[in-house]
Amino acid sequence: MQPLLTLSDIIFRRGDFALRIEGLDLRAGRIYLLEGGNGAGKSTLLQLLALLLPPAAGTIRFAGEPVADEAQRQRLRRQITLVEQNPYLFDTSVYRNLAFGLRLRARGGETQERHIRQALQRVGLAGFKARHARALSGGESRRVALARAMVLRPQLLLLDEPTAGLDREVLPIFEECLAALPGQGTTVVVASHDGDQSRRLAGEVLTLDQGRLSMASRPASSQPRPSAMET
Amino acid sequence: MDYLLNSLDAALGMIAHLDREVLDAVWTSLYTSLTAIVLGALLGIPLGALVGLGRFPGRRLSMTLLNTLMALPTVVVGLVLFGLFSRQGPLGPLGLLFTPWALIAGQVVLAVPIVANYTVAAVAGADPRILPTALTLGAGRLRGSWQLLLEVRFGMMAAIVAGFGRVIAEVGVAMMLGGNIRGSTRTMTTAIALETSKGEFAFGLALGIVLMGVALIVNLFLHQLQQR
Repeated sequence: MQPLLTLSDIIFRRGDFALRIEGLDLRAGRIYLLEGGNGAGKSTLLQLLALLLPPAAGTIRFAGEPVADEAQRQRLRRQITLVEQNPYLFDTSVYRNLAFGLRLRARGGETQERHIRQALQRVGLAGFKARHARALSGGESRRVALARAMVLRPQLLLLDEPTAGLDREVLPIFEECLAALPGQGTTVVVASHDGDQSRRLAGEVLTLDQGRLSMASRPASSQPRPSAMET
Repeated sequence: MDYLLNSLDAALGMIAHLDREVLDAVWTSLYTSLTAIVLGALLGIPLGALVGLGRFPGRRLSMTLLNTLMALPTVVVGLVLFGLFSRQGPLGPLGLLFTPWALIAGQVVLAVPIVANYTVAAVAGADPRILPTALTLGAGRLRGSWQLLLEVRFGMMAAIVAGFGRVIAEVGVAMMLGGNIRGSTRTMTTAIALETSKGEFAFGLALGIVLMGVALIVNLFLHQLQQR
């Protein structure tokens, strides 16, 4: 089957830092865990995968289509959503935050209402629709950002340290949401420091070391086990 | 001292009794300044956003130019536009000189650099995550930039309020392009300058009090916006 996203001979430079990816295939409906220490280049790689940064050299293909220019990047970004480690919520209600991307995709009306309600329920914030985004706690903001991305049903969802610093009781909510996404056709890439998260999510592990993707492996179990997600 | 106290008493009396002449000047000032700031915002906000968000050769020069234009002397603006609007000038056939529209045009020239500079500052101080967030949620560059402006809307409002404060208090443009024609182009500032010189000190004082009141309201509003 054709990979969802392919990187070939990618080079990206920022100051003294250089990211080099000789080859990477992300297959549809999988979970990938991106591991690596601080400064390894995880956030930069996620921004490249999100088509927010153009590489200095190399080729990115989305569903076999080479990504050539900004117009194409803009069009394909409708299929890819990145949730940053410290996500920005627009200075408005939770509802309007979730509706932002849906409106751009002309998915309004009752469908929009239903999708937003479902997404908020999944992240455990069912009653938060009318709350102002700036009145939320850090953990609630992260969950709203996750819901805002999930409601778009992207083909590729990228998350940068989504659970770092979160309360232990919130962690299972995140991991259950992420584990369910491949079944809905979404490929998930999670950058994480947490080695146990790889085991709990049973995803394929990608390891970045000093800007080089040095290893890609599949753990023994390839299916998420809900019981194993309890911490 | 009696002269001052008597004049103040007369000025307060004019305000309290809604003196027709005072109201005319206040109305002319308000409607020309409000029209000018609306037009100035329509030009200045996109210009400021372009300079603040754009990456193009000459961007730094544009910022320096905008900063310089902010300190443009009002009489120089009045002088240049007088040349353009005068009978022998290129825009003479339009017959705009000594009409409210000439006055408004001059005020727009004064307002645009202020609105644009405040917009550049608001955009530069915006959270750097706004644009990437909008882009990753599916917005194009233009929609993302619009979202950024919405996020710094209090800065935008401060830009408009600051521009309004500048145009309503200026006298050079109003004097040179308006001509202080009673019931048409006589603004608070031109009336204060010219009527006082004719001995109507109480009248000038009444307008001065109203102008100070407007300036106070504008500054209180600006202060509130800057606290957000």
